[in-house]
Amino acid sequence: MKSKKRFYEFLVFNIFRIISFLVVGLLFVILFFISIRGIGVINWEFLTSMPKEGMTQGGIFPAIVGTFCLMVGSMLFAFPIGVLSGIYTNEYLKESRFKSFLRSMTNNLAGIPSIVFGLFGMALFVNKLHFGDSLIAGSLTLGLLALPVIIRTTEEALKTVDMSLRTGSYALGATKLQTIRRVVFPIAFPNILTGLILSMGRVSGETAPILFTVAAYFLPKLPQSIFDQAMALPYHLYVLTTSGTNMEESRPMAYGTAFVLIMIVLIFNLLANWLRRYFGKKVKM
Amino acid sequence: MSHLDTEIKNLKTSVISMWLLVLSQLEKAQRAIKESDLDLAKEVKVNEKRVDAFELKLDMDCENLLALFNPVAVDLRFVLAVLKVNYNLERVGDYANTIAGCAENFSKNFDKKLLKEVKLSEMFALSHTMLSDALQAFENEEPKLVRSAFQLDDELDKLTKNAEEVICEWIKKHNDQTRDALYVISIIRKLERVGDQAKNIATEIIFHTEAKMLRHTKKKLILKELDANTGDNN
Amino acid sequence: MKDKSKEVEVEQKPTVIIETKTANLFYGSFHALKNIDFEAYQNTVTALIGPSGCGKSTFLRLFNRMNDLIDHVNISGKILLNNKNIYDKSIDVDELRKKVGMVFQKPNPFPKSIFENVAYGLRVNGISDSGYIEEKVKTSLQQAALWNEVKDNLKKSAYELSGGQQQRLCIARALAVEPEVLLMDEPASALDPISTSHIEELIFELKKQYTIIIVTHNMQQAGRVSDYTSFFYMGDLIEHGSTKQIFTSPKDVKTQNYITGRFG
Repeated sequence: MKSKKRFYEFLVFNIFRIISFLVVGLLFVILFFISIRGIGVINWEFLTSMPKEGMTQGGIFPAIVGTFCLMVGSMLFAFPIGVLSGIYTNEYLKESRFKSFLRSMTNNLAGIPSIVFGLFGMALFVNKLHFGDSLIAGSLTLGLLALPVIIRTTEEALKTVDMSLRTGSYALGATKLQTIRRVVFPIAFPNILTGLILSMGRVSGETAPILFTVAAYFLPKLPQSIFDQAMALPYHLYVLTTSGTNMEESRPMAYGTAFVLIMIVLIFNLLANWLRRYFGKKVKM
Repeated sequence: MSHLDTEIKNLKTSVISMWLLVLSQLEKAQRAIKESDLDLAKEVKVNEKRVDAFELKLDMDCENLLALFNPVAVDLRFVLAVLKVNYNLERVGDYANTIAGCAENFSKNFDKKLLKEVKLSEMFALSHTMLSDALQAFENEEPKLVRSAFQLDDELDKLTKNAEEVICEWIKKHNDQTRDALYVISIIRKLERVGDQAKNIATEIIFHTEAKMLRHTKKKLILKELDANTGDNN
Repeated sequence: MKDKSKEVEVEQKPTVIIETKTANLFYGSFHALKNIDFEAYQNTVTALIGPSGCGKSTFLRLFNRMNDLIDHVNISGKILLNNKNIYDKSIDVDELRKKVGMVFQKPNPFPKSIFENVAYGLRVNGISDSGYIEEKVKTSLQQAALWNEVKDNLKKSAYELSGGQQQRLCIARALAVEPEVLLMDEPASALDPISTSHIEELIFELKKQYTIIIVTHNMQQAGRVSDYTSFFYMGDLIEHGSTKQIFTSPKDVKTQNYITGRFG
């Protein structure tokens, strides 16, 4: 009896173990696969020069710049709105039907496929507001996409702040706004920041929303204003692998681009981790 | 000083006041007898009410201290000791009152020579010393100071025995003063009781400071105990 | 002598600082406080005792309107601070909370430096004179008997202090805004015995300057620190009287059963 129990214990435990190793293994296989093929292409010229000869030569510099512009632009839009909205829902709204409605809507927003955001962005920003295919239209669309994530992370971060600190602050005669500004927000900030950076990483990899709003198929120059079109890494990768002039020749370029994209996401994730730890230490000391 | 310490100190101060009041009652009773001072005797009677009130107050203080602070160890022993010391002091107050009352009862032709012959002043002095030595011991928490209470008690007993003989003789000679002689013997008995109360108080002081319960222990053993603890430097 | 001491007590009928008249409180439909008439006097410590859920903490929170933070709370009756109804519409809650400080069960210092914790109440009340703030931080920490332990480390995080020190910091923080009344909600229940006795000694000192109302589960603590005791049971104020009277001769049998530990 006992040995049977032990056996099941052993079996189930090992199944769990194998599966989780498989997942990690898969991640490494992808990274390895992309790195092996992409790393050979990476050099200074690849990173800093324009694409040439139907994208079979030269570099991906405008795509990198474009992606960075989109990331920063989308966050400039999404961060303040998302954080303020998160503060409102978590700190000001009392538990009510409206609140749960708002919550579920935020979740639904996060579940909408990104291509739909792309379509919406095109309809609203590109056509209705006459921005044209432009950095601003793309940034706003990506911002919309990131918004629910930022709202949710803000809410979650605020929720982790101990209620006793709020009551402690009220008990000293502080107003709600003072309490949020001086006690709650500083404590929640590292976690909010982490959410921000993670969503930046996510935004940098999105293809669908920029498809109709900003991305240029081939544009060997840097954007001059927010109303210019721009290249972006994920779309560039898509173009290189599916509709290049010479797909066989541009394949190494595609792997190189993929490698750069992965590195950017990885760096952002590490940055988020580091920031969280840095601020976490600073707040609690 | 902590809150409990303050309360204990206040209680101790009250006990000392009570003690001094009782001692002064005893002194006044002595003077009332010696000088046939009836006013003084009256004063003792009036003050007896104060002693009683004081006893009640101390009792209440102890009750509050026990209820509110749940003292333990030395603090608990202190409160328990005070409860008994308080009771014993009140009894001494009663004796002083009775003694003072005798001053009023002596007949006019009572010959004061009897008081000298029974060595009443010595007895008063002895019982007073025992009580005030115990007070010293209580105040300074020096148990060796209570030695005198046990040593002097012997002398007090001896004087009592002697006094009984003297009074027997006296009654044979002075038939007209039999009643007065009986008053004198009653005073002597009271003083002897004062000595006993002082002894009881002394054991409570030892209980407080040394955590040893010496009630119903033979005097010799008590003295030995005291010497063993404090070194024989008295 | 006994009679005399009673007379003296009557003569020095102390100033009433806090008073409630038929105070009722409902959580939704739950009647949590029932017709409470209560008084707390200047420079005294009043202990609120009673079994868990008897309403004593809720009652304490009436006085700085902390119950306002909870949804579905309904309050009726008069709750007076210096004869003014603090639930009046004209009352500014933030101003009220300055006058009625509070210390909580669990030490809850802000994740800031020791200095900033104490200065917090001043800063949110619009004081920016750094000289004044420094002085006030110092005196508050001294009053809370913490100054000597932290004076060289004011910049250190409050979280580096021990639990007992943190609680004294929270007391200093409350004192800094110069309250008249100090509410304490089981201030020592999360602390070890040594820290607890520090806090109790502190309360004994603080009552010289403040009026203190303390909720406690610890009968001995109520006995040691308070001058008056109120016993709550199921939302009723069963008995209110001097701590000596409550602890030596309670009038109500429920009070007796509770303080002797025979409840149930």
